[in-house]
Amino acid sequence: MTSINLTLKIWRQPNNDALGGFETYLLDGIHTDMSFLEMLDVLNEKLTKEGKDPVAFDHDCREGICGMCGAVVDGVAHGPEKEVTLCQLHMRHFHSGDTLVIEPFRSRAYPIKKDLLVDRSALDRIIQAGGYVSVNTGGTPDGNSIPIPSQQAELAMDAAACIGCGACVASCPNGAAMLFTSAKISQLALLPQGQVERKNRALAMVEQMDKEGFGNCTNAKECEAVCPKGISIRNIARMNKEFFKAILTEG
Amino acid sequence: MWFVRFLVSSIGKKFIMAASGLLLFLFLCTHVAGNATIFMSSKVFQSYADELHSHPLIVLVFSLGLLGVFLAHIFVGLYLFYQNRAVSNSRYAVCTRVVKYSFASETMPYTGLFLLVFLVVHVFGFTFSPKTVLISVTVQQLLSNFFYALFYILGFVALTIHLSHGFWSMLQTFGFNHPRYNFLISRLTIVIPLFFFLVFAGIAFYFMTGLGASY
Ligand code: HEM
Ligand code: SF4
Ligand code: FES
Repeated sequence: MTSINLTLKIWRQPNNDALGGFETYLLDGIHTDMSFLEMLDVLNEKLTKEGKDPVAFDHDCREGICGMCGAVVDGVAHGPEKEVTLCQLHMRHFHSGDTLVIEPFRSRAYPIKKDLLVDRSALDRIIQAGGYVSVNTGGTPDGNSIPIPSQQAELAMDAAACIGCGACVASCPNGAAMLFTSAKISQLALLPQGQVERKNRALAMVEQMDKEGFGNCTNAKECEAVCPKGISIRNIARMNKEFFKAILTEG
Repeated sequence: MWFVRFLVSSIGKKFIMAASGLLLFLFLCTHVAGNATIFMSSKVFQSYADELHSHPLIVLVFSLGLLGVFLAHIFVGLYLFYQNRAVSNSRYAVCTRVVKYSFASETMPYTGLFLLVFLVVHVFGFTFSPKTVLISVTVQQLLSNFFYALFYILGFVALTIHLSHGFWSMLQTFGFNHPRYNFLISRLTIVIPLFFFLVFAGIAFYFMTGLGASY
Protein backbone atom coordinates (compact mmCIF):
# COMPACT_ATOMS: atom_id res chain seq x y z
CA MET A 1 0.00 0.00 0.00
CA THR A 2 1.36 3.41 -0.93
CA SER A 3 1.03 6.37 1.29
CA ILE A 4 1.55 10.08 0.65
CA ASN A 5 2.32 13.18 2.68
CA LEU A 6 0.19 16.28 2.17
CA THR A 7 0.00 19.91 3.17
CA LEU A 8 -3.59 21.05 3.58
CA LYS A 9 -4.78 24.64 3.59
CA ILE A 10 -8.31 24.53 4.89
CA TRP A 11 -10.83 27.34 5.28
CA ARG A 12 -11.74 27.63 8.97
CA GLN A 13 -14.66 29.77 10.09
CA PRO A 14 -16.38 29.24 13.46
CA ASN A 15 -19.79 30.48 12.24
CA ASN A 16 -21.46 32.61 9.61
CA ASP A 17 -20.83 35.89 11.40
CA ALA A 18 -17.19 35.24 12.24
CA LEU A 19 -14.29 36.13 9.98
CA GLY A 20 -12.74 33.06 8.43
CA GLY A 21 -9.22 32.27 7.29
CA PHE A 22 -6.96 29.50 6.07
CA GLU A 23 -5.20 27.14 8.48
CA THR A 24 -2.32 24.97 7.32
CA TYR A 25 -2.02 21.35 8.42
CA LEU A 26 0.66 18.78 7.65
CA LEU A 27 -0.68 15.27 7.22
CA ASP A 28 1.67 12.30 6.78
CA GLY A 29 1.10 8.69 5.81
CA ILE A 30 -2.23 9.04 3.97
CA HIS A 31 -3.04 5.76 2.24
CA THR A 32 -3.78 6.26 -1.43
CA ASP A 33 -6.77 3.92 -1.18
CA MET A 34 -8.52 6.37 1.15
CA SER A 35 -11.25 8.63 -0.08
CA PHE A 36 -10.91 12.38 0.30
CA LEU A 37 -13.35 12.39 3.21
CA GLU A 38 -11.43 9.56 4.94
CA MET A 39 -8.34 11.70 4.62
CA LEU A 40 -10.25 14.51 6.37
CA ASP A 41 -11.35 11.97 9.03
CA VAL A 42 -7.68 11.20 9.70
CA LEU A 43 -6.97 14.91 10.03
CA ASN A 44 -9.91 15.35 12.40
CA GLU A 45 -8.79 12.43 14.57
CA LYS A 46 -5.39 14.05 14.83
CA LEU A 47 -6.89 17.46 15.67
CA THR A 48 -9.19 15.93 18.28
CA LYS A 49 -6.27 14.16 19.94
CA GLU A 50 -4.40 17.45 20.04
CA GLY A 51 -7.42 19.01 21.74
CA LYS A 52 -8.24 21.19 18.72
CA ASP A 53 -11.52 21.78 16.95
CA PRO A 54 -12.02 19.25 14.11
CA VAL A 55 -12.85 20.53 10.62
CA ALA A 56 -16.62 20.53 10.05
CA PHE A 57 -17.71 19.09 6.68
CA ASP A 58 -20.92 17.63 5.29
CA HIS A 59 -21.24 13.97 4.34
CA ASP A 60 -23.72 11.14 4.55
CA CYS A 61 -23.75 8.18 2.16
CA ARG A 62 -20.10 8.34 1.16
CA GLU A 63 -20.96 6.44 -2.00
CA GLY A 64 -21.74 9.32 -4.31
CA ILE A 65 -25.53 9.24 -4.23
CA CYS A 66 -26.82 11.51 -1.49
CA GLY A 67 -25.41 14.88 -2.51
CA MET A 68 -24.33 15.94 0.98
CA CYS A 69 -20.56 16.12 0.53
CA GLY A 70 -18.62 18.71 -1.41
CA ALA A 71 -15.86 21.24 -1.15
CA VAL A 72 -13.71 23.17 -3.58
CA VAL A 73 -10.28 21.52 -3.89
CA ASP A 74 -7.60 23.58 -5.60
CA GLY A 75 -10.27 25.73 -7.23
CA VAL A 76 -12.42 22.88 -8.57
CA ALA A 77 -15.72 21.83 -6.96
CA HIS A 78 -15.51 18.14 -5.89
CA GLY A 79 -11.82 18.12 -6.77
CA PRO A 80 -9.83 17.40 -9.90
CA GLU A 81 -11.39 14.14 -11.06
CA LYS A 82 -14.29 14.24 -13.53
CA GLU A 83 -17.79 13.08 -12.60
CA VAL A 84 -17.14 12.11 -8.98
CA THR A 85 -18.33 13.51 -5.71
CA LEU A 86 -15.79 14.43 -3.04
CA CYS A 87 -16.56 11.21 -1.12
CA GLN A 88 -15.72 9.15 -4.21
CA LEU A 89 -12.53 11.01 -4.98
CA HIS A 90 -9.58 8.87 -3.96
CA MET A 91 -6.22 9.95 -2.66
CA ARG A 92 -4.42 8.05 -5.43
CA HIS A 93 -5.13 11.06 -7.63
CA PHE A 94 -2.75 13.13 -5.52
CA HIS A 95 1.01 13.01 -5.08
CA SER A 96 3.21 13.10 -2.04
CA GLY A 97 4.26 16.66 -1.29
CA ASP A 98 1.11 18.21 -2.82
CA THR A 99 -0.41 21.26 -1.18
CA LEU A 100 -4.20 21.16 -1.36
CA VAL A 101 -6.32 24.27 -0.85
CA ILE A 102 -9.75 23.25 0.47
CA GLU A 103 -12.56 25.81 0.53
CA PRO A 104 -16.30 25.59 1.10
CA PHE A 105 -18.79 25.79 -1.81
CA ARG A 106 -19.39 29.51 -2.08
CA SER A 107 -22.47 31.38 -3.26
CA ARG A 108 -24.41 34.38 -2.06
CA ALA A 109 -27.26 31.93 -1.51
CA TYR A 110 -25.15 29.51 0.58
CA PRO A 111 -24.46 30.93 4.07
CA ILE A 112 -21.45 29.24 5.71
CA LYS A 113 -22.43 27.41 8.86
CA LYS A 114 -18.95 26.32 9.94
CA ASP A 115 -15.68 25.63 8.13
CA LEU A 116 -16.60 23.62 5.00
CA LEU A 117 -20.23 23.24 6.02
CA VAL A 118 -22.64 25.42 4.03
CA ASP A 119 -26.39 25.87 4.14
CA ARG A 120 -27.76 24.77 0.77
CA SER A 121 -31.43 24.95 1.74
CA ALA A 122 -31.94 27.51 -1.06
CA LEU A 123 -31.90 24.48 -3.38
CA ASP A 124 -34.55 22.77 -1.24
CA ARG A 125 -36.78 25.82 -1.51
CA ILE A 126 -36.51 25.68 -5.32
CA ILE A 127 -37.77 22.08 -5.15
CA GLN A 128 -40.54 23.08 -2.74
CA ALA A 129 -41.70 25.73 -5.19
CA GLY A 130 -42.68 23.14 -7.78
CA GLY A 131 -40.27 20.24 -8.16
CA TYR A 132 -42.90 17.60 -7.47
CA VAL A 133 -46.00 16.00 -8.91
CA SER A 134 -49.19 16.19 -6.89
CA VAL A 135 -50.83 12.78 -6.64
CA ASN A 136 -53.96 11.81 -4.79
CA THR A 137 -52.92 8.74 -2.86
CA GLY A 138 -54.63 5.48 -3.63
CA GLY A 139 -53.67 2.00 -4.64
CA THR A 140 -50.28 1.47 -6.23
CA PRO A 141 -50.74 1.82 -10.01
CA ASP A 142 -49.84 -1.16 -12.15
CA GLY A 143 -46.42 -1.14 -13.73
CA ASN A 144 -46.36 0.15 -17.34
CA SER A 145 -49.92 1.45 -17.12
CA ILE A 146 -48.59 4.75 -18.48
CA PRO A 147 -46.61 4.11 -21.67
CA ILE A 148 -43.43 6.19 -21.88
CA PRO A 149 -41.19 6.16 -24.97
CA SER A 150 -37.80 4.84 -23.94
CA GLN A 151 -35.94 7.88 -25.25
CA GLN A 152 -38.05 10.18 -23.06
CA ALA A 153 -37.52 7.88 -20.11
CA GLU A 154 -33.75 7.90 -20.65
CA LEU A 155 -33.58 11.69 -20.91
CA ALA A 156 -35.69 12.06 -17.79
CA MET A 157 -33.44 9.60 -15.96
CA ASP A 158 -30.35 11.52 -17.09
CA ALA A 159 -31.82 14.67 -15.55
CA ALA A 160 -32.99 12.82 -12.46
CA ALA A 161 -29.42 11.71 -11.79
CA CYS A 162 -28.84 15.13 -10.19
CA ILE A 163 -28.15 14.58 -6.49
CA GLY A 164 -28.58 18.23 -5.53
CA CYS A 165 -25.03 18.66 -4.28
CA GLY A 166 -24.89 22.28 -5.46
CA ALA A 167 -21.44 22.04 -7.05
CA CYS A 168 -22.82 23.65 -10.19
CA VAL A 169 -23.54 26.83 -8.25
CA ALA A 170 -20.15 26.72 -6.53
CA SER A 171 -18.28 26.40 -9.81
CA CYS A 172 -20.31 28.86 -11.87
CA PRO A 173 -18.40 32.12 -12.40
CA ASN A 174 -21.74 33.89 -11.84
CA GLY A 175 -22.99 31.70 -9.02
CA ALA A 176 -26.03 30.66 -11.06
CA ALA A 177 -28.19 27.69 -10.09
CA MET A 178 -29.47 26.99 -13.59
CA LEU A 179 -28.03 23.49 -13.99
CA PHE A 180 -29.66 22.23 -10.80
CA THR A 181 -32.99 23.93 -11.47
CA SER A 182 -33.06 22.84 -15.10
CA ALA A 183 -32.38 19.21 -14.17
CA LYS A 184 -35.24 19.28 -11.66
CA ILE A 185 -37.61 20.91 -14.15
CA SER A 186 -36.57 18.58 -16.97
CA GLN A 187 -36.94 15.30 -15.11
CA LEU A 188 -40.66 15.99 -14.71
CA ALA A 189 -41.34 17.95 -17.91
CA LEU A 190 -40.17 14.93 -19.92
CA LEU A 191 -42.57 12.46 -18.30
CA PRO A 192 -46.34 12.10 -18.73
CA GLN A 193 -46.79 12.35 -14.96
CA GLY A 194 -45.27 15.82 -14.99
CA GLN A 195 -47.58 17.34 -17.61
CA VAL A 196 -50.41 18.59 -15.38
CA GLU A 197 -48.25 21.02 -13.44
CA ARG A 198 -45.68 21.53 -16.18
CA LYS A 199 -46.13 25.24 -16.83
CA ASN A 200 -46.68 26.34 -13.26
CA ARG A 201 -43.69 24.29 -12.19
CA ALA A 202 -41.38 26.05 -14.64
CA LEU A 203 -42.65 29.47 -13.59
CA ALA A 204 -42.56 28.82 -9.85
CA MET A 205 -39.15 27.15 -9.74
CA VAL A 206 -37.47 29.84 -11.85
CA GLU A 207 -39.08 32.55 -9.76
CA GLN A 208 -37.85 30.93 -6.54
CA MET A 209 -34.38 30.50 -8.03
CA ASP A 210 -34.25 34.23 -8.79
CA LYS A 211 -35.53 35.10 -5.32
CA GLU A 212 -32.77 33.15 -3.59
CA GLY A 213 -30.10 35.46 -4.97
CA PHE A 214 -28.30 33.17 -7.37
CA GLY A 215 -26.45 34.80 -10.26
CA ASN A 216 -27.37 34.86 -13.91
CA CYS A 217 -26.21 32.24 -16.41
CA THR A 218 -23.87 33.39 -19.17
CA ASN A 219 -23.38 29.94 -20.69
CA ALA A 220 -19.86 29.50 -19.35
CA LYS A 221 -20.35 25.70 -19.12
CA GLU A 222 -18.34 25.32 -15.89
CA CYS A 223 -21.32 23.67 -14.16
CA GLU A 224 -21.55 20.72 -16.50
CA ALA A 225 -17.75 20.28 -16.35
CA VAL A 226 -17.73 19.79 -12.57
CA CYS A 227 -21.10 18.09 -12.10
CA PRO A 228 -20.46 14.70 -10.45
CA LYS A 229 -23.43 13.24 -12.31
CA GLY A 230 -22.59 14.62 -15.74
CA ILE A 231 -25.81 16.64 -16.00
CA SER A 232 -25.74 18.33 -19.42
CA ILE A 233 -26.49 21.99 -20.13
CA ARG A 234 -28.97 20.66 -22.66
CA ASN A 235 -31.24 20.72 -19.62
CA ILE A 236 -30.70 24.49 -19.32
CA ALA A 237 -31.71 24.89 -22.96
CA ARG A 238 -34.81 22.85 -22.19
CA MET A 239 -35.60 24.93 -19.10
CA ASN A 240 -35.34 28.13 -21.12
CA LYS A 241 -37.89 26.75 -23.57
CA GLU A 242 -40.15 25.51 -20.78
CA PHE A 243 -40.05 28.88 -19.06
CA PHE A 244 -40.63 30.79 -22.29
CA LYS A 245 -43.61 28.65 -23.30
CA ALA A 246 -45.06 28.84 -19.81
CA ILE A 247 -44.79 32.60 -19.43
CA LEU A 248 -46.33 33.20 -22.86
CA THR A 249 -49.39 31.15 -22.05
CA GLU A 250 -49.83 31.13 -18.26
CA GLY A 251 -50.21 33.64 -15.45
CA MET B 1 -48.20 41.55 -16.05
CA TRP B 2 -46.61 38.60 -17.75
CA PHE B 3 -44.27 40.71 -19.81
CA VAL B 4 -42.86 42.51 -16.79
CA ARG B 5 -42.45 39.20 -14.98
CA PHE B 6 -40.62 37.90 -17.99
CA LEU B 7 -38.28 40.88 -18.15
CA VAL B 8 -37.36 40.84 -14.48
CA SER B 9 -36.67 37.09 -14.50
CA SER B 10 -33.15 35.79 -15.03
CA ILE B 11 -34.15 33.80 -18.10
CA GLY B 12 -36.05 36.77 -19.54
CA LYS B 13 -32.88 38.87 -19.47
CA LYS B 14 -30.98 36.08 -21.18
CA PHE B 15 -33.65 36.12 -23.86
CA ILE B 16 -33.21 39.85 -24.37
CA MET B 17 -29.46 39.32 -24.80
CA ALA B 18 -30.04 36.50 -27.24
CA ALA B 19 -32.85 38.18 -29.19
CA SER B 20 -30.99 41.49 -29.52
CA GLY B 21 -27.85 39.48 -30.38
CA LEU B 22 -29.79 37.72 -33.15
CA LEU B 23 -31.01 41.03 -34.59
CA LEU B 24 -27.48 42.44 -34.47
CA PHE B 25 -26.24 39.31 -36.19
CA LEU B 26 -28.85 39.73 -38.94
CA PHE B 27 -27.86 43.37 -39.28
CA LEU B 28 -24.22 42.29 -39.69
CA CYS B 29 -25.29 39.91 -42.48
CA THR B 30 -26.84 42.76 -44.48
CA HIS B 31 -24.01 45.15 -43.66
CA VAL B 32 -21.34 42.70 -44.75
CA ALA B 33 -23.14 42.05 -48.02
CA GLY B 34 -23.44 45.77 -48.79
CA ASN B 35 -19.85 46.56 -47.88
CA ALA B 36 -18.47 43.66 -49.90
CA THR B 37 -19.35 45.71 -53.00
CA ILE B 38 -16.23 47.76 -52.17
CA PHE B 39 -14.20 44.87 -53.57
CA MET B 40 -15.98 45.28 -56.92
CA SER B 41 -15.31 48.98 -57.47
CA SER B 42 -15.94 52.40 -55.96
CA LYS B 43 -18.71 52.86 -58.51
CA VAL B 44 -20.64 49.78 -57.47
CA PHE B 45 -20.18 50.73 -53.84
CA GLN B 46 -21.29 54.31 -54.43
CA SER B 47 -24.38 53.19 -56.33
CA TYR B 48 -25.22 50.77 -53.49
CA ALA B 49 -24.93 53.65 -50.99
CA ASP B 50 -26.95 55.99 -53.23
CA GLU B 51 -29.66 53.38 -53.71
CA LEU B 52 -29.85 52.83 -49.95
CA HIS B 53 -30.12 56.55 -49.21
CA SER B 54 -32.69 57.19 -51.92
CA HIS B 55 -35.16 55.70 -49.42
CA PRO B 56 -34.61 58.03 -46.46
CA LEU B 57 -37.64 56.75 -44.55
CA ILE B 58 -36.49 53.14 -44.68
CA VAL B 59 -33.03 54.20 -43.56
CA LEU B 60 -34.47 56.26 -40.70
CA VAL B 61 -36.76 53.50 -39.43
CA PHE B 62 -34.04 50.86 -39.63
CA SER B 63 -31.45 53.11 -38.00
CA LEU B 64 -33.73 53.90 -35.09
CA GLY B 65 -34.64 50.23 -34.73
CA LEU B 66 -30.98 49.29 -34.76
CA LEU B 67 -30.23 51.92 -32.15
CA GLY B 68 -32.93 50.44 -29.92
CA VAL B 69 -31.55 46.94 -30.36
CA PHE B 70 -28.03 48.13 -29.52
CA LEU B 71 -29.24 49.97 -26.44
CA ALA B 72 -31.15 46.91 -25.22
CA HIS B 73 -28.15 44.65 -25.82
CA ILE B 74 -25.67 46.98 -24.17
CA PHE B 75 -27.77 47.97 -21.15
CA VAL B 76 -29.00 44.48 -20.31
CA GLY B 77 -25.49 43.12 -20.92
CA LEU B 78 -23.90 45.65 -18.58
CA TYR B 79 -26.66 45.20 -16.01
CA LEU B 80 -26.03 41.44 -15.97
CA PHE B 81 -22.29 42.02 -15.80
CA TYR B 82 -22.55 44.19 -12.69
CA GLN B 83 -25.16 41.93 -11.12
CA ASN B 84 -23.01 38.85 -11.63
CA ARG B 85 -19.91 40.60 -10.38
CA ALA B 86 -21.68 41.40 -7.14
CA VAL B 87 -22.49 37.71 -6.68
CA SER B 88 -19.17 36.27 -7.58
CA ASN B 89 -16.31 38.69 -7.14
CA SER B 90 -13.21 36.83 -5.88
CA ARG B 91 -15.06 34.08 -4.11
CA TYR B 92 -12.18 31.64 -3.93
CA ALA B 93 -8.53 31.84 -2.95
CA VAL B 94 -7.78 29.39 -5.75
CA CYS B 95 -10.07 29.41 -8.78
CA THR B 96 -9.49 26.95 -11.58
CA ARG B 97 -11.51 27.03 -14.79
CA VAL B 98 -12.22 23.48 -15.91
CA VAL B 99 -13.65 24.41 -19.31
CA LYS B 100 -11.06 24.80 -22.05
CA TYR B 101 -11.37 27.68 -24.53
CA SER B 102 -13.27 29.88 -22.07
CA PHE B 103 -11.48 33.06 -23.17
CA ALA B 104 -14.36 34.35 -25.33
CA SER B 105 -17.04 33.68 -22.71
CA GLU B 106 -14.99 35.28 -19.93
CA THR B 107 -14.34 38.43 -21.95
CA MET B 108 -17.84 39.07 -23.37
CA PRO B 109 -18.36 42.37 -21.52
CA TYR B 110 -14.88 43.60 -22.49
CA THR B 111 -15.03 42.67 -26.17
CA GLY B 112 -18.55 44.15 -26.12
CA LEU B 113 -17.36 47.45 -24.63
CA PHE B 114 -14.55 47.67 -27.16
CA LEU B 115 -17.16 47.20 -29.88
CA LEU B 116 -19.09 50.10 -28.36
CA VAL B 117 -16.04 52.37 -28.69
CA PHE B 118 -15.60 51.12 -32.22
CA LEU B 119 -19.24 51.85 -33.01
CA VAL B 120 -19.02 55.43 -31.80
CA VAL B 121 -15.93 56.05 -33.93
CA HIS B 122 -17.52 54.25 -36.86
CA VAL B 123 -20.79 56.15 -36.77
CA PHE B 124 -19.11 59.53 -36.37
CA GLY B 125 -16.62 58.70 -39.11
CA PHE B 126 -19.05 57.47 -41.75
CA THR B 127 -22.69 58.05 -40.88
CA PHE B 128 -22.19 61.67 -39.82
CA SER B 129 -19.47 62.43 -42.35
CA PRO B 130 -19.84 65.64 -44.42
CA LYS B 131 -22.48 65.11 -47.09
CA THR B 132 -20.45 67.08 -49.65
CA VAL B 133 -17.94 64.24 -50.06
CA LEU B 134 -18.98 60.98 -51.72
CA ILE B 135 -19.11 58.15 -49.19
CA SER B 136 -16.90 55.97 -51.40
CA VAL B 137 -14.24 58.69 -51.13
CA THR B 138 -14.63 59.12 -47.36
CA VAL B 139 -14.17 55.39 -46.82
CA GLN B 140 -10.98 55.38 -48.79
CA GLN B 141 -9.62 58.54 -47.16
CA LEU B 142 -10.23 57.41 -43.58
CA LEU B 143 -9.07 53.83 -44.01
CA SER B 144 -5.91 54.79 -45.87
CA ASN B 145 -4.69 56.11 -42.54
CA PHE B 146 -2.64 53.27 -41.05
CA PHE B 147 -3.78 53.74 -37.43
CA TYR B 148 -7.40 54.29 -38.36
CA ALA B 149 -7.40 51.03 -40.31
CA LEU B 150 -5.54 49.25 -37.53
CA PHE B 151 -8.20 50.38 -35.06
CA TYR B 152 -10.83 48.97 -37.40
CA ILE B 153 -9.05 45.65 -37.63
CA LEU B 154 -8.82 45.48 -33.83
CA GLY B 155 -12.53 46.22 -33.66
CA PHE B 156 -13.20 43.24 -35.93
CA VAL B 157 -10.93 41.04 -33.83
CA ALA B 158 -13.12 41.94 -30.85
CA LEU B 159 -16.24 41.21 -32.90
CA THR B 160 -14.89 37.81 -33.92
CA ILE B 161 -14.10 36.88 -30.32
CA HIS B 162 -17.47 38.21 -29.11
CA LEU B 163 -19.38 36.18 -31.69
CA SER B 164 -17.30 33.05 -31.17
CA HIS B 165 -19.09 32.72 -27.85
CA GLY B 166 -22.16 34.80 -28.68
CA PHE B 167 -23.44 32.81 -31.64
CA TRP B 168 -23.49 29.49 -29.80
CA SER B 169 -24.68 31.16 -26.59
CA MET B 170 -27.62 32.75 -28.40
CA LEU B 171 -28.80 29.39 -29.74
CA GLN B 172 -28.35 27.74 -26.32
CA THR B 173 -30.44 30.50 -24.72
CA PHE B 174 -33.18 30.01 -27.32
CA GLY B 175 -33.17 26.33 -26.40
CA PHE B 176 -31.41 24.90 -29.45
CA ASN B 177 -29.24 22.17 -28.00
CA HIS B 178 -29.63 18.78 -29.61
CA PRO B 179 -26.92 16.14 -30.12
CA ARG B 180 -27.85 15.91 -33.79
CA TYR B 181 -27.10 19.59 -34.46
CA ASN B 182 -24.51 20.46 -31.82
CA PHE B 183 -21.57 19.64 -34.07
CA LEU B 184 -22.94 21.84 -36.83
CA ILE B 185 -23.58 24.67 -34.38
CA SER B 186 -20.07 24.42 -32.95
CA ARG B 187 -18.61 24.70 -36.47
CA LEU B 188 -20.86 27.61 -37.44
CA THR B 189 -19.78 29.40 -34.26
CA ILE B 190 -16.25 29.44 -35.70
CA VAL B 191 -17.00 29.84 -39.40
CA ILE B 192 -19.50 32.72 -39.19
CA PRO B 193 -17.34 35.06 -37.07
CA LEU B 194 -14.34 34.25 -39.26
CA PHE B 195 -16.34 35.07 -42.37
CA PHE B 196 -17.31 38.47 -40.92
CA PHE B 197 -13.69 39.02 -39.99
CA LEU B 198 -12.39 38.21 -43.46
CA VAL B 199 -14.74 40.60 -45.23
CA PHE B 200 -14.80 43.50 -42.74
CA ALA B 201 -11.12 43.42 -41.79
CA GLY B 202 -10.35 42.69 -45.44
CA ILE B 203 -11.81 46.08 -46.39
CA ALA B 204 -9.67 47.89 -43.82
CA PHE B 205 -6.64 45.92 -44.98
CA TYR B 206 -7.43 46.70 -48.63
CA PHE B 207 -7.11 50.45 -48.09
CA MET B 208 -4.48 50.32 -45.35
CA THR B 209 -2.01 48.56 -47.62
CA GLY B 210 -2.81 50.70 -50.64
CA LEU B 211 -4.21 47.74 -52.57
CA GLY B 212 -7.44 49.66 -52.99
CA ALA B 213 -5.72 52.95 -53.92
CA SER B 214 -7.48 53.14 -57.27
CA TYR B 215 -10.53 51.01 -56.50
C1 HEM C 1 -22.08 44.31 -32.94
C2 HEM C 1 -22.77 43.28 -32.92
C3 HEM C 1 -23.01 42.43 -31.70
C4 HEM C 1 -23.51 41.16 -31.74
C5 HEM C 1 -23.91 40.43 -32.98
C6 HEM C 1 -23.58 40.65 -30.38
C7 HEM C 1 -24.04 39.40 -30.03
C8 HEM C 1 -24.10 38.91 -28.75
C9 HEM C 1 -24.65 37.64 -28.36
C10 HEM C 1 -25.32 36.65 -29.29
C11 HEM C 1 -24.50 37.51 -27.01
C12 HEM C 1 -24.88 36.30 -26.15
C13 HEM C 1 -26.27 36.35 -25.58
C14 HEM C 1 -26.50 35.18 -24.64
O1 HEM C 1 -25.65 34.96 -23.74
O2 HEM C 1 -27.49 34.48 -24.80
C15 HEM C 1 -23.87 38.69 -26.55
C16 HEM C 1 -23.56 38.95 -25.25
C17 HEM C 1 -23.10 40.15 -24.81
N1 HEM C 1 -22.79 41.25 -25.59
FE1 HEM C 1 -22.94 41.42 -27.55
N2 HEM C 1 -23.13 41.61 -29.55
C18 HEM C 1 -22.78 42.72 -30.31
C19 HEM C 1 -22.31 43.92 -29.86
C20 HEM C 1 -22.15 44.21 -28.56
C21 HEM C 1 -21.78 45.52 -28.10
C22 HEM C 1 -21.53 46.76 -28.95
C23 HEM C 1 -21.69 45.41 -26.77
C24 HEM C 1 -21.33 46.61 -25.93
C25 HEM C 1 -21.45 46.72 -24.68
C26 HEM C 1 -22.00 44.03 -26.39
C27 HEM C 1 -21.98 43.52 -25.11
C28 HEM C 1 -22.36 42.25 -24.75
C29 HEM C 1 -22.40 41.77 -23.40
C30 HEM C 1 -22.01 42.55 -22.15
C31 HEM C 1 -22.88 40.45 -23.43
C32 HEM C 1 -23.20 39.58 -22.25
C33 HEM C 1 -22.16 38.59 -21.98
C34 HEM C 1 -22.55 37.81 -20.79
O3 HEM C 1 -23.77 37.70 -20.51
O4 HEM C 1 -21.62 37.35 -20.14
N3 HEM C 1 -22.28 43.34 -27.51
N4 HEM C 1 -23.62 39.54 -27.62
S1 SF4 D 1 -26.65 19.48 -11.49
FE1 SF4 D 1 -24.82 18.26 -10.90
S2 SF4 D 1 -23.54 19.71 -9.74
FE2 SF4 D 1 -25.60 20.61 -9.82
S3 SF4 D 1 -26.64 19.93 -7.96
FE3 SF4 D 1 -27.15 18.41 -9.55
S4 SF4 D 1 -25.57 16.82 -9.33
FE4 SF4 D 1 -24.78 18.61 -8.20
S1 FES E 1 -21.47 11.76 0.98
FE1 FES E 1 -23.22 11.23 -0.24
S2 FES E 1 -22.61 11.94 -2.18
FE2 FES E 1 -20.79 12.24 -1.03
